[in-house]
Amino acid sequence: MSTNQWLATGNYFTSYKKEQATFSTHLDRSIFTLFLVLLFAWPVFFPMSNKYMLVVDNILIAIVAVMGLNLVTGFAGLISIGHAAFVGIGAYTVASFCRILGDSHVIVTHFWPVLILLSGLMGAFFGGVVGLPALRLKHLYLAIATLSFQMIFQWVINFMSFFNQGQTIFVGRVAWFNGEVDRDDHYVFWYYIILTCVVLLGFGIRNLLKTKYGRCLVAVRDNDRAADAMGMHPGLTKVYAFALAGFFAGVAGALHAYLYRGVGFESFTLHESVSYLAMAIVGGLGTLNGCFWGPVAIKLLDLNVEQLAELAGAYLPSSMNLATALRPFTFGLVIVLFLMFEPRGIANWWRILKSYTKLWPFRY
Amino acid sequence: MKDKRCLSLTVLMLVMVFAFTASATAGGKVYKLGLSLAITGPTSDAGNPYSKGVEDYFKFVNETKVLGDDTIDCIIRDDQYKTDVTKRNFEEYLDEGIVMYLNYSTGSTLGLKRDFEDEKIAVLPASYHAGNVDDSNYIFLPVASYSEQLVALSEYVVQNHKGDKAKVAMFIHPSAFGRGPVEDAQKAVAAGLNMEIVEVVEHGKDLDNSAMLKRLLSKGVQYVLCHTVQSPVATMLKDSARLDMTAKTYGEEGKLTFLGVHYTGGNDLIALTGDDAEGYFWTCSFNLTSEPGQGTDEQLALAKRYARDDKAANSHNYAAGIMVAQVATEAIKRAKDKGLEINKETLYNELNLMNGANEYAPYTTMGPVSYSATDRAGVDMLQIYSVQGGIFKKIGEPIQSEYMKKIK
Amino acid sequence: MSYFFQIVVSGVVVGSIYALAALGLVLVYKSSRVANFAHGQIIAAGAFITYFLTVTLGIPIFFSFLGSMVITFFLAMSVERIFLRRLIGEPIISVIMVTIGLASIIDGLIYLTPFGTENYSFPAFLPTDPLTMGGISISWTQLVGVIITFVLIGGFSWFFKKSTVGISMRAVSDDQFGSMSVGISVPRVFGLAWATAGLSAAAAGCIIGNITGLNFDTLHAFGIVVFPVVILGGLDSILGAVVAGIIMGLTQQIASGYLDGNWGLSGTGEVMPYIILLIILLFKPHGLFGIHEIERV
Repeated sequence: MSTNQWLATGNYFTSYKKEQATFSTHLDRSIFTLFLVLLFAWPVFFPMSNKYMLVVDNILIAIVAVMGLNLVTGFAGLISIGHAAFVGIGAYTVASFCRILGDSHVIVTHFWPVLILLSGLMGAFFGGVVGLPALRLKHLYLAIATLSFQMIFQWVINFMSFFNQGQTIFVGRVAWFNGEVDRDDHYVFWYYIILTCVVLLGFGIRNLLKTKYGRCLVAVRDNDRAADAMGMHPGLTKVYAFALAGFFAGVAGALHAYLYRGVGFESFTLHESVSYLAMAIVGGLGTLNGCFWGPVAIKLLDLNVEQLAELAGAYLPSSMNLATALRPFTFGLVIVLFLMFEPRGIANWWRILKSYTKLWPFRY
Repeated sequence: MKDKRCLSLTVLMLVMVFAFTASATAGGKVYKLGLSLAITGPTSDAGNPYSKGVEDYFKFVNETKVLGDDTIDCIIRDDQYKTDVTKRNFEEYLDEGIVMYLNYSTGSTLGLKRDFEDEKIAVLPASYHAGNVDDSNYIFLPVASYSEQLVALSEYVVQNHKGDKAKVAMFIHPSAFGRGPVEDAQKAVAAGLNMEIVEVVEHGKDLDNSAMLKRLLSKGVQYVLCHTVQSPVATMLKDSARLDMTAKTYGEEGKLTFLGVHYTGGNDLIALTGDDAEGYFWTCSFNLTSEPGQGTDEQLALAKRYARDDKAANSHNYAAGIMVAQVATEAIKRAKDKGLEINKETLYNELNLMNGANEYAPYTTMGPVSYSATDRAGVDMLQIYSVQGGIFKKIGEPIQSEYMKKIK
Repeated sequence: MSYFFQIVVSGVVVGSIYALAALGLVLVYKSSRVANFAHGQIIAAGAFITYFLTVTLGIPIFFSFLGSMVITFFLAMSVERIFLRRLIGEPIISVIMVTIGLASIIDGLIYLTPFGTENYSFPAFLPTDPLTMGGISISWTQLVGVIITFVLIGGFSWFFKKSTVGISMRAVSDDQFGSMSVGISVPRVFGLAWATAGLSAAAAGCIIGNITGLNFDTLHAFGIVVFPVVILGGLDSILGAVVAGIIMGLTQQIASGYLDGNWGLSGTGEVMPYIILLIILLFKPHGLFGIHEIERV
């Protein structure tokens, strides 16, 4: 609320409805609409190769997942090192349908929005289950409980033959109103779908924080005993937070399954969980725009390191694994440097940039 | 100040990237191939020498002008065994216009199977999983699949077993890579192979296998067939030697004889196990440097030419890498000799024609490579090796599995 | 019956290795309340340094064992000084993420060396014949491993109970302000805590390396498996780490000995620690021997 620039000059709201509005001025609304139109229109004018479209789609899916993680870790203060397991649950829900019905069954190819929603609900259910220890544990112990959930998930997928024991389960191509989406259009089609999800869910989070439940979350994070004294139920709030995060993760998982047209165990390991946490932190915990910066930064870092590694591999003796050691090294270095020098993440830089432009040419 | 430095660093990086990609090769056409494998991460102990093999052979082809003025440009990327990254690499290679693709991990070969079908591009993976060729016309296994190797090994066990039914236990990797061949082995038993699979053990990161080994022995198991990677086998061999359970001669009563397929063995196994690997049997379709011959001489010469250390030069994964590079080069050469344009389709056809009189015998394998519309395994022959005196020695002549045809 | 005893003995052996690996985690947590997710990588680094000293430089194994402990001592201390000093007082999520980031950095550094991707094994320095007693056999390597584990644990317990430095470390873990007021240098204690953790990590790495061979994947997976052990035993109790380690080792071996192969299960030993962890967290979160109660929500 105080981030709204118009409030600084002494404007004030005269009704609750006005305060809860998403956009406080017409200008805000039109700029945002223009931005959305741009996001939807650019693939038509600047078609990108499949590889880059895949990268963009991947980033968008990560944004959905990180929105959930940010909700539970940033806004509610509950550390979750098992987020990739929830994403995996969403993906494996879709995969289970494919296993039972066959991967080109009509439900999978035509009713995919329903399936995506269903995966979200499945993720929410398991999120709630994992959130139950939150009623008794705090901080480090909760983090380790989520870690153990991640490992148990990995074990279950790897050993149950229903899930093909970790091997790829195929998901067929979906159908849109004008027939099946074929290989050329696949990445662009899913770009639009995932973008729609991102926009809808982003609005969802923004509005969530203005509701009673959203304020509950922040209150519980800041001081749960005081929140308890004020009549909120901290335990239930935390369980709901996990369930919501699970919902986001489930949706992200289902989108992942459809985008890659297959679900394999390697995409939902502990390393991915750590990656999501890194995205949340580098983006900025507890902020909405941090959910966008984080995945973009980490995924582009990965790509750049790959290119740099290839360059280095051409010039340096290949007996040194320098080229391939760079990837985990830079990943860890980025996390550590951000935490040491900019713990509030890129969102903080964005905030500083905005206030700089707002006040320019004045310094303060 | 900090921003300025950041900016100039980014500009410098961009310039370097452009400079690198803009450099053109002089004269001749460039044929692009792609390889995505795990140079670091899981199974990198096999991936690392494999990538060196591929890289060295293509460099050799370009330098000695095997294709005349034309050169082969093989882009090699590390995907750390993650299917997502492999898919991204594959899409990028397609944008670059590759004519053939070399893959590595089982997970990604299966995951990208449909993409290979859609793109109609020939693929040579390093994973010999039999499931790769189901529903797929474009995946060509370099050597016999793991299933075939396991069944062939089982047949060897049965043929050389003195006594009634051979009691066998399987020691496999806890993943799809490990489990696939076990089903085929069970089908072979159902089709009449005279052995009994007493237990199928999926190992974990066990530090101590004593309990498992004792249990197997108490159930009367005499042979342990392994299909996994080297470290678990090494731990098990060490434990077995310590408990004095390893058979000194083949099929010794009351003891365990260990046998394994492709990825269980190699010089790394001996490095990990030391003396306890004596008597370990192993199937491999590649020529090993411990049995010198013309093929291994050329392999060692190639390694020396590009200053590879001894470990890589003597590794069978290095030979495997060279071999897929050889097959790809041969396909390009044949198409070129016929005057055809080099693209995905012509190379696919060339591979399918590699049979009968047109079989190809690279120096890295102990049998010829043959492909056809129905035969998707390159080298069909297998050689059994055994560790004697700390190195792998050939046992008998190359064999081929009979039961595989029965259970197809 | 001897099958059962063999399982028990294997369980104790494996469990004491877990105890030694968990010891480092407990040492760090006891003094500075930091959960170290990079412990597996430090164990791996210790093992590789020992191998390097033994094989490449040709130092006799006993001295390279001590040498790698010293080197890892300083390595861990410098890690604390460079990265964690700034984070004193930051929320716990930042500290956890920094150790996770550190794990990645050390991963990358190890990949630079050939150790990251290839397999090695220590030259045998103990007799290879096993010890057999009544149908149960242990190898010399395992026995030596157990002995060293208990020696080190005994040493550390004495250290914390009797020596001045040890007592000051315990004081810092109880109350930082109080210990500062008596003149203990809190940052120095943090550095020492990490350094001693590095010591025990190097010892654990050597022993594991001798038993299973040097494979980076196996070694750094230990960093995740020790968490159930320390939670079971209590994050700040050394005795707890020992007892919990042995219990965990026993459960793993019994699970894989009796459950695997029946009812289509396999690999139950892998997942047992995490199931036990969940159960303990739900009923007794501060572990068997932990002192500090966890705040209720």
